[in-house]
This record gives sequence, C-alpha cells and structure tokens, in this order.
Amino acid sequence: MKLKLFSFLFFFNYTFGQSPSVVFENANTAYNNAKYEKAVSLYKEILDQGEHSAALYYNLANCYYRLNNVGESVFYYEKAQLLNPNDQDIKVNAAFAQNMAIDAVELLPQTQLTHMKNSFFNSFSTEGWAILAVVLAWLFALFIGLYLWNKAPFLKRTFFILAILSSLLLVSSISISFMKSSTEESTIYGILFSEKIDVWAEPNSRSEVLFLLHEGTKVQLLDALQEWQKIKIANGSEGWIKGGNIRSLKDFK
Amino acid sequence: MHKYILHIIVLLFTVFNVTAQVSFEARVSKKSMGLNERLRVDFIMNKNGDNFTAPNFSDFRVVGGPNQSISNSWVNGKKSFSKTFTYFLSPKKKGAATLKAATVKIEGKVYRTTPVKITVSESVAVPRDPNSPEYLIDDNLHLVAEVSNPRPYLNEAITVVYKLYFRSPLKISDAREIESPKFQDFWSHIIKIPQLQVQNATFRGEDYKVVVWRKTVLYPQKTGKLTLEPLSLNVVIGLPSNRRDFFGGRIVQQTSRAITAEKRFINVKPLPEKGKPANFFGAVGQFDFNLIINKNDLKASESFELKVKASGSGNLKLFTLPKLTLPNTLEVYEPEHSEDVKTSLGGMKGSIEDKYTVVPRFQGKYPISPVSFSYFDPKKEEYFTLISQEHIVDVYDGPIAGNSTNKDNSTSNQLVSTENESFRFIKLIPNLRPIEQLAFWGSKEFYLMIVAPFLLLLIFYFLLRRKIKISGDVDGIKLKMANKLAKKYLGSAKKNLKNKILFYDALERALHNYLKAKLNIETFDFNKEKIRQLLKEKPLSSDDIDSFINLLENCEIARYSPATDAKMQQDFDQALNVIATIDRKL
Repeated sequence: MKLKLFSFLFFFNYTFGQSPSVVFENANTAYNNAKYEKAVSLYKEILDQGEHSAALYYNLANCYYRLNNVGESVFYYEKAQLLNPNDQDIKVNAAFAQNMAIDAVELLPQTQLTHMKNSFFNSFSTEGWAILAVVLAWLFALFIGLYLWNKAPFLKRTFFILAILSSLLLVSSISISFMKSSTEESTIYGILFSEKIDVWAEPNSRSEVLFLLHEGTKVQLLDALQEWQKIKIANGSEGWIKGGNIRSLKDFK
Repeated sequence: MHKYILHIIVLLFTVFNVTAQVSFEARVSKKSMGLNERLRVDFIMNKNGDNFTAPNFSDFRVVGGPNQSISNSWVNGKKSFSKTFTYFLSPKKKGAATLKAATVKIEGKVYRTTPVKITVSESVAVPRDPNSPEYLIDDNLHLVAEVSNPRPYLNEAITVVYKLYFRSPLKISDAREIESPKFQDFWSHIIKIPQLQVQNATFRGEDYKVVVWRKTVLYPQKTGKLTLEPLSLNVVIGLPSNRRDFFGGRIVQQTSRAITAEKRFINVKPLPEKGKPANFFGAVGQFDFNLIINKNDLKASESFELKVKASGSGNLKLFTLPKLTLPNTLEVYEPEHSEDVKTSLGGMKGSIEDKYTVVPRFQGKYPISPVSFSYFDPKKEEYFTLISQEHIVDVYDGPIAGNSTNKDNSTSNQLVSTENESFRFIKLIPNLRPIEQLAFWGSKEFYLMIVAPFLLLLIFYFLLRRKIKISGDVDGIKLKMANKLAKKYLGSAKKNLKNKILFYDALERALHNYLKAKLNIETFDFNKEKIRQLLKEKPLSSDDIDSFINLLENCEIARYSPATDAKMQQDFDQALNVIATIDRKL
C-alpha cells in the first residue's frame, strides 16, 4: 500500500513536475552556487515543458559559458537575442562568448542606407509590425468614419488627412511585415558545433578548401546537395561543408 | 752367366719400373669456367713416351700450345721425371664440354688419359688470373656497406656502415675517399669516427681484419626501391712480392687501388594507410607530446607563452609540430622553433618545440583547445595519437570586445569595446511563455483583424447613406405633417373663408393651438410678448418670429376692421407658410 502511494507520488511528481517558475528559481540558485551542470539540466527541464523566454536562453548560455562550452553558449545567446534583440545584458555576455570562439568573422560593411533600413525594420518584430498594421487599419476606418460623419469642413479635412496618413502607414507596415517574414523564412541561421570543419569551393572533395571554420561560428544555411550544405558566413564568404554538425536557430529546442 | 745376371737386373729394373707405375693424366686449371676464360690443360706423364697424340679439342679452340717441358729431379737419391704437354684452350660454346682422351706410347704400351668434363658458363666480368696481384687484391680486400634494415618504413631510421675488410698478405697503408655517396631521397647524418681502428672479424666465414670507415644514419624520404650510391675509396696497398731484400725479407710493392662498395638497394615501405590519423604529419618513432603554458590567469595586454613540445626518438627534425588554433581575439606571434636533437647510430633523440607568445587584448576566458599529435611507431607497426590537456586562460582587467578586434571599421554594427565591462549575472525574472506560439502574422486572426475595420466602415457608410436618405424623407414627412397639422388647425378657418369674423377667430385659435402643441404653452399666459420671448429661445430667425407675431396681430385687427376676401385668403396662406416654416425649424 505504502509502496503504491510512493509510486503514485513519484508518478505525480514525474508527470506534472514543479511549476516552471520554481524550477527556474532552483536553477538560478544552482548557478549562483557554481553548480552549472545542474543549472543546465534544470533550465532544460523548463524547455522540455514547452516554455521559453529570452531570460531562460540567456541563463542557459551563461551556464555553458561557465562550463567553457563555446558552441552551446553562442547558440543560446543567439536564441536569447532572437527573442529579445535589444537587451544589453545579452549583448555584453554574447560578446564574451564570441571571444571564446576561435573564428572572428568580420561583418560585411553596410552602407548607411541599408543600415538605416535594417534598424528601421528591426524596430519591431514581424509580429509587432503585424499588430501595428491592425491598429492602423482600425485607425484608418475610424478616421474615414469620422470624415463621413462630420459635416463641418475643417473637421472633415483633418480626418481626411489623418485617414490618408494612416492608410499609407498601414500599407507600409504590412509590406515591411511581409518582407520581414519572407526573409526570416528564407534565411536560416545555424551555429556550428563541429570542432573544426573545412569549407570547400564546390560540393565535392576534388575542389579546393577555401577556409576553415571552428566551433561557435554563426552561419547562414543556403542550398543543400546530398550530404553537402552550402553556407554563408557574416563576412559574405560562401562555401560547402560536408557532414558538419550545425544546429539551426529556427527550431526552438 | 753375366749375361743372365744383367738380364735379371734389367728385368728387375723393368719390374720395378712397372710397379713404380707409369702415370699419364690430364690436369685442368678449373672445371667450371666462363665463356671468355682460358683453360689450361696439362698432360703429364712420369715416363718419357713417344707418339704423344693430343685429343681432338672439338669443344675448344687451341689458343696456345702445345708447349713441352721435361723436368728431372733427384731427391734423396730418388729420381723423378715428368714430361708435360701444355695447351691453352678457349671454349667454343656454353654448356658441358668434354676434354677427350690423349694417348701416348710409353715403353711400347699405349696409355690414355681419362676424359675431363668442363662446365662452361656465362662470361665472367673479369677473367681472373689467379697469379696476378689484381687477383690477390680482389680476393683479399672488400669494401662492404652494411645496412641495418633493408626494408624500413618511410621515415624510419636506418644505418649504413661502410667497412673495409682485408687480410694478409695485404697491408693497407692509406685510404682516401674518392667519391662520397650522395644520399638522394634520404635525410642523412654522418656520424664522425674520430680514429680508424683495426679489429678482427669474420667475413664470409673467413678471418679478416676490419676497419669501420664510415657510419651514416639515413631517414628515407621516398617510398619504393631506393639506391644507395656506392662509396669509392682509393686504398694504398702493400703487396709482398717474390723478391727479397738484402736481409731476406720480402720486398713490399706499393700499389694504389680504387675500390667501390657494391650498390645496395633499400626497399622503403610506405606507412600503412589503415588507421592513419587525419592529423598525421609524418612523425615516425617513439614520442611524448606536451602543451605547456606558463600562466593561467593574467591581465589583458600582458603576455603568456605556450610551448608545443615533442620529445623522444624518431625523425624529430623531419616533421612539423601541430599548429595551435587559438581564439582570434588573442594576439599570437609567429612561433619560435627550437630543437635539441642528438643523432647517434640509433637515430635522432631529443626534443623539438614551438614557442608561441600570446597577448590577450580583451578580458574573458580563452580556451586553448587541446592539440593532438600523431606518430607511427615502426616497431609496433601502429599509429598512436597523443592529445594535450585543455587549458583555459582567464584574462581579467581589460576591455571586452565584440567579435572583432577591428575597431576602426565604423560602419560595422558591432558592440563598442567598453572599458572594464564585466560578465553580467543571470536574469532572475523568467517571463516564460509557451514555445509553440502561433504566429500572429499570416494567421486567420490577423487577416480578420485587418479586414474587419474595412467591413465595419462599409457597413457604417451604408447606414449613414440610408440615414441621410431617410432623414431627407423625414423632412418631407415633417412638411406633410405640418401641412396636415395646418389643415387640421386651419381646417375650420378654411371653411369660414367667407365669414370674416369666424375665419379670424378660427385662425387665431389655430395658431394658439399649434403653439400649445409645439411649445407647451398654456392658454392663460398667452400673450404676444411671451410668445416672442419663447420663440426667441428657439432656433428661429427673427423674420419668422415677426411674421408669426404679425399674423397674430392681423387676426386681432381684422376682427374689428373691414377685410376683403383677398386679404383673408392672403392671411390664410401666410399662416400655412409660417406654421410650415416654424415646424421645419423646430
């Protein structure tokens, strides 16, 4: 009977576990006591329960940094930055992790225009732009309604101008949202986990080796041919790799 | 009687002679010979004979002879006699040749030699004359290259020792190297021999004296059959001659002679492909491998040293040490290579190292990833891989950097180095949310939310239009209603258009009733001033009010003054008009 009860309790514990926030706190304590492996397993438990956040990925990355695991550390900092691109803590610690990585890839210089465009596009996420579009659509309807309703010429003129402005913004926010989502869908980034890998000019081993990449480098995944994968790194160089261990940043696992 | 005795003596002698055996034989200088060599045949008899018939030398050509020689000698009163016919022959063809029997008649008896079989082989390089000094030198002086291992692996050390064997009667007074072998396809090292020493040794089962002339350590750099070029020495040889000096000692003849060690072939085996590690750079031998770091934590812009060191025995000078891969934010200078290698007959021994000087510029942790070093052990015929342990260099007190050290690149969108920025602590607020979140963009909800305001706007627009239309109709209805009202109120007035007093009475009542209905005015406080005041509060123009008041006044005046039908009709129309106007505006 007792045994049954125990097993029931155990089962209960196992299936439902502790609430994620409690696990998070336990993990934080473990981190603070320098038990990084334990903290990692606890944070991963939260992920297994199907919940995530920038803070969670950031903490996980910090654990891996403390454990001197370059690839995992860079990977989780990148994930944290995906969820929260403008967090200063994440930026600073991600720089530490980048220091640890062997490859330092210089970013391709951007023109002022693309830089402005990118920073403008990135002021909201795709979802943010979509929500903005919805808000603008409602505002547009409201202004048109007010324009129709009112008979006084001054008010009519004001609402008409407001309606035109909001319609322009609506169109642009929808198109930005569309562009962002399509680029996000077509550009898949991954982090290299193989310790060292040759990058070839062509997807066959007769071609020459262009350069070497090491663990923790962020690569863009392009075409694939059989077991060969075309990649691009931040400085614009492209090449083919074979059998490397690259984890895509897209699947949240 | 004397005759008898003489006969007996003669007979005895004869018998003696017969019993002393008449021999007739053929002696050859050799039984096997090269095609280009000469054969000397001696037909020797120990009694003088007649009618010597040489055999038919069908397999040979007679080069010289016959030479005839007779020798008589008395030793201890014993007489020996020999008569020799000598032929020099040269074989006509390879194979077995037979020297047939020669005949001679000795004392009336015919004697025959036994036929001799000679094997004729290929031509020999130098037809040897065993009596010449050349032959003596060739036979008693040998220069030999001794190879420790004729089938080494690539890059496995082998030793070649050149030894000069000689035996009496030769005496060596000097030797000089004419031609030193160039060991192509080998890495070679000559071990110096301070003083040549003569030792006793056996060579081909015979006693010789030996001098070790030269010791060389070779590392083959190519696989396949490699040739060791021969070493040539010029040797001054003392050869005893047959002449004797005044004191009876033999006079030694000095000759100089070039002697060459025979060519040796080394068959170099390639290293086995099976199990060859990827990071194999050609190290063959037995090694130990280390990565040594002199500091584990330091300030930024201080320097530390990393040593990659391989020690042991093997081809130390012939391979490169594995390169270090370091994080790029570390400033690494070209490694300084140093060797401490001694070469002995066993091969190279010692250590080689690459010393890297590294200066970290930014703070943080830098893992020095382990370096692996592989070598082939030719004795165990196996590859071994040694991996150095991992080091972590902790750099404190310095700026942190983005992923590039290039700070001049102003266009790059990177973190700016910040002085003394430290590693940030973890976040304590989880802000957790489900991973499986449906994207709002592109979802049904999104399209619904985008389209909904437009639909609402459309509906609103139609409602508004209908309302406008309806409101237009309301005016019409209102007018109709007002006309109806007017008809209702003015109906009695209209009936009395012929009767002046009744008409104006009815008209006044009608106006009053209308006002009562519209403005909730009681009849008792009804006067023109009050009406004017009330009407002024309403959105009516003063013209309308005036015409209304005027109409009321007209009604009062007309009751007591003569009025025409036309005037009455005019007042009626005005009343209609005023009521309609007021009604529309109220």
